[in-house]
Amino acid sequence: MTIGISTYLIYLALSIALTIWVARTLHKNGRVFLVDVFHGNEALADSVNHLLVVGFYLINFGYVSLALKLGYVVNTAEQSIEALSVKIGMVLLVLGGMHFFNLFIFSRMRRRTQSQNHPPVNPDTFTATAVHQEA
Amino acid sequence: MLALTVLYDPECGLCRRAHEWLAEQPRIVELKFVPCASEEARKRYPQLNHELTKKDLTVVSDDGAVYFGPKAWLMVLWALARYRDWAYRLATPELLPTTRRVVSAISQNRYQIGRLAGLNR
Repeated sequence: MTIGISTYLIYLALSIALTIWVARTLHKNGRVFLVDVFHGNEALADSVNHLLVVGFYLINFGYVSLALKLGYVVNTAEQSIEALSVKIGMVLLVLGGMHFFNLFIFSRMRRRTQSQNHPPVNPDTFTATAVHQEA
Repeated sequence: MLALTVLYDPECGLCRRAHEWLAEQPRIVELKFVPCASEEARKRYPQLNHELTKKDLTVVSDDGAVYFGPKAWLMVLWALARYRDWAYRLATPELLPTTRRVVSAISQNRYQIGRLAGLNR
């Protein structure tokens, strides 16, 4: 196996492992947010959570795949490590960006549902109501 | 909160027009319209000061919370799917005084406005 092939294989292994790790973290810890957003509807929360993670995987693996090509020949171990550092660094930045984007979506969804459920003003007074006996 | 009862002035053309407009709007919270100080209003809310409800728009929630005047307007806006954001915006400390002034001015001159707009019957 040439040093070039090894570089590619190490790049793929590291990128895939990192993507899986971040996606699992997101899946595990994002669930609480989503359950809250959907007012305790766990089935819906799990479904949305799963769909988000699928999107996350698709975008990241897509990037990892597109960024695979080095464009130059790697001859020494030194060059291989340098090439790997650039490639893995880019993957990490994309993962970080995606991760914060997901967090942003979670918090926005949560804020939106929270702020919509309380009346905009406090009542002036309270009165007895006969509506319930009627119905 | 699932429903709001709106005690409106059946004598005023502007209120009737507003009622027609409201009926067409998609709602998040159910709105029920009852003429103020009517027999039905008294039956529903035996302890409410009905003379006061003639002066200004009054909204009562299904849990018995009462909102008078500008607050009642904001609650009606809040019940509408398209205007809920506006209800929050107009109720912020920066805008609430202006909201109160504008709503009170419209409310106190509702018969004149209705007459000018040709809405009174």
